[in-house]
Amino acid sequence: MKLFIKFDINTICSLFLKHNLDQHNVNFTTLGFGEIEISDNLDANALEALKNKLSPCGFEVVENQKSVLVQKIKDAIIELVFMEDNNNYKSSVFLAEKLNHSYGYLSNVFSEVTYSSIENFIILQKIERAKQLIIINEMSLTEIAFLLNYSSVAHLSTQFKNTTGITPSAFQRIIKKRRENLK
Amino acid sequence: MQNNALYILLADDDEDDRLFFNDAFEEIKIQTKVDFVHDGMQLMEHLMDTNNKLPDILFLDLNMPKKTGKECLIEIKKTEHLKNIIIAIYSTSSSEEDIEDTFIQGANIYIKKPSDFNTLKKIINEVVTVNWHYHTSGLNRDNFLLRLK
Amino acid sequence: MKWIPNFNSSNSLRVIFVVAVFILLFLSSIAYKHNRDLDESSKVVMHTYEINIQLERLMSAIKDAETGQRGYIITRNARFLTPYIYSRDKVNTSFIKLKKLTADNPKQQQNLQKLFKLIIQRFVSFENCLKYSDPKTYDKRKLDNHMFGGRILMENIRFQVDEMNDIEKNYLANRLKIYDAEISLSPIFSISLFLVALSFILLAYRQISRDFERLKVYNKKLLISSGLIAESEVIGKFSTWQWDLDTSKIDYSDNQYRLLGYEPNAFVPEKETFLNFVHPDDKETVAKSMEEIISKKQLPFVYYKIVLPNHDIRYFKTTGKLLTDQQGSKILLGINFDITDEHLLNIELQERNSELEKSNKELASFNHVASHDLQEPLRKIQTFVSRISDADKEVMSQSARDYIAKIQISAKRMRVLIDDLLLFSRTNTTKKEFIKSNLNELLENAKGELTEVIDEKKATITTSKLPKLAVIPYQIEQLFINLIGNSLKYSQPDIAPEITIESHKVNSSDYPDLLDQNVKKFHKITFTDNGMGFDPQFKETIFVLFQRLHSKTDYPGTGIGLAICKKIVDNHKGHIIADSTPNQGSVFTIFLPD
Repeated sequence: MKLFIKFDINTICSLFLKHNLDQHNVNFTTLGFGEIEISDNLDANALEALKNKLSPCGFEVVENQKSVLVQKIKDAIIELVFMEDNNNYKSSVFLAEKLNHSYGYLSNVFSEVTYSSIENFIILQKIERAKQLIIINEMSLTEIAFLLNYSSVAHLSTQFKNTTGITPSAFQRIIKKRRENLK
Repeated sequence: MQNNALYILLADDDEDDRLFFNDAFEEIKIQTKVDFVHDGMQLMEHLMDTNNKLPDILFLDLNMPKKTGKECLIEIKKTEHLKNIIIAIYSTSSSEEDIEDTFIQGANIYIKKPSDFNTLKKIINEVVTVNWHYHTSGLNRDNFLLRLK
Repeated sequence: MKWIPNFNSSNSLRVIFVVAVFILLFLSSIAYKHNRDLDESSKVVMHTYEINIQLERLMSAIKDAETGQRGYIITRNARFLTPYIYSRDKVNTSFIKLKKLTADNPKQQQNLQKLFKLIIQRFVSFENCLKYSDPKTYDKRKLDNHMFGGRILMENIRFQVDEMNDIEKNYLANRLKIYDAEISLSPIFSISLFLVALSFILLAYRQISRDFERLKVYNKKLLISSGLIAESEVIGKFSTWQWDLDTSKIDYSDNQYRLLGYEPNAFVPEKETFLNFVHPDDKETVAKSMEEIISKKQLPFVYYKIVLPNHDIRYFKTTGKLLTDQQGSKILLGINFDITDEHLLNIELQERNSELEKSNKELASFNHVASHDLQEPLRKIQTFVSRISDADKEVMSQSARDYIAKIQISAKRMRVLIDDLLLFSRTNTTKKEFIKSNLNELLENAKGELTEVIDEKKATITTSKLPKLAVIPYQIEQLFINLIGNSLKYSQPDIAPEITIESHKVNSSDYPDLLDQNVKKFHKITFTDNGMGFDPQFKETIFVLFQRLHSKTDYPGTGIGLAICKKIVDNHKGHIIADSTPNQGSVFTIFLPD
């Protein structure tokens, strides 16, 4: 029997963090994707131990302030893109409001840290969502384009192709054949 | 950006290509460590050796002696601890069907070997950047497909 | 006679025959009866006259007696008594006979008794007369009485005899009347029956002679027919045989003997001996199908080899069908074809085919490998040249820089050539999967590939709705890319290219010279541009591989692009034509079958 599972990374990670931090008797609160606030102050050794514990699982303790901001920007963008109803939001406005900085500042920090722009990241996320929607296979490309605020299927196709190098239909084909291979 | 250098592994039997690749990586801004293997069998031995760190990105030429890139790809995707490596096929021109087939077999990226050095730099830059995005932004690795000409 | 319509001839003949026989029987029974009646009537006549005679004899005897008596009485000569004595016997004899003759008639018997009594009385009278006439006992009076009485008795006797005669005569007359009545009818009856019989027989005769004529005609046709069949068997190198499954008798047509290498009727065909003609390799197969004939009563196609008496080998193809004839017997009609010529031809064809295929495969793979392997060193050249940095160039001489530039140009040209060659070799792939595709999507993809050039030249592309067809998607996309790319490449300088793509459905009958008439409908897709156009006299040569209309410095091109287009369209069993007005534009038309 084949099941499609959509998993919420956030939940998984939070649970995992909780599990691990509980073991260390660290009290914490989750502030956002990738951000936790620890009630106690850890000393260098404890911090090191925590880092070592978390890094094999793919968790990295980010210490840089700007990195933190960038992470927040990313979270915000993801939230924007994956929102169900995002028709009226202009991303720059949304981000500026949400993170309490000017869009220009956010843009600079983002580029500095990631060497790539917010716009690119937004496109990346939109295409990522498009991929997910394509995989679930319940919507047509037209519907997907509409949901993601593209003016037309052609526009979505163009951006999809520019980002990934392949067309959405080719992507669909490949995913389908990958599934068939697994059988 | 990241604390550790990105570990890149290239499997290519051509000496000149390895040279180009190495030079290109040296000239991009991102910190990387690049290793090379010369053929398919060497590749699999390297990967299976538990002493070796697994690469963040594996660039794989398709035309290799002893074991072709495609065979390696299939084998890697079948091996539990290897199947999550990001694999970029790095090859000379192939037909559309062949390219699609490598994606179907599980490759994440397809790169056609460029005939201009600057283009090569641009390409690997993009690969590394996009890969980093995938790495850090909770994007689904299974859906990571990128094709660069 | 038209009123006997539906009888087929044998039935009607039978009917006629039976009727005629009946009539004959009837007639003969009538004749027989007639004879019998005649017989009867003559017997009756005889009978009557017999009685008559006897009665007369009786009378005569009595008269003799009387005469004798008289004579004696008169002469007293004993000689006259002799008849008198004899007469008694005669009377008795007659009487006995009469009794027999009248046995069937009680009335006559009565009369006879009366007569007898009278006669007795007469004789008594005679005796008395004799007595009383005898001189010894002479009594005249008694004599006169008895004589007189005797005379009266005689009259009575005569009377009785006459009565008896009359009765007989009446009886006879009646019987004769009846016979006459009966007999008078039969001749007419017989004659009419005879006529009827005769007419039936004439009818039958007519029918028979007609049938006979028909049979002759049919027979003639049959002879001609079977002659033709035998000839056609010889000409067509096939033969027929019949196997009666009930009696296991096998009949060969003449040509069957000949095909097996013998003269017609050289031997008696038998199931067991047939296998002797079959080549050892195929004996088992043939034996099996012979078994199947018996068990399953059918003979699907079976192929086998025959060895002729002169040891030549011939290839045979045999099939058969079970037929049931009018009598209900099952006959397997078999047909043999001598397919040796076709078979050998086939083998030759197959060999040539596989040679061609092999050669093709080699060529294709050579093409592919050559193009592919040529790319590597070329790429290296280009990459290494690109590695020569600006800093390096600074320290080179001008001529060195120029040379490097020229190397790059040539390398690029070679690259394009190899790419096109590779594309061309790919359109030759033997595996061709036709998938029902939306040509509009393929067109969009093609436009996507050319986005940069389209934007650079500010080209406008107008498309009408394209159909969904079963095509090789990659190839059609390449076709569109090549055609649109050409239009873009050969646009007029300073004029933004305008490309119009239209699709119509057409009948192949509208283009009898161009299109395969076996396919009814084609899709005609036109690519019209406002580019430079070309001299229409070249409208066929532009599709030839490596044909170019411009020098390579003017317009980069390999001369392969349109050849690839043609190859792709050929793969789809379609057609491509081009036309142009120089300095106004060109039209490329592709026809794809529905």
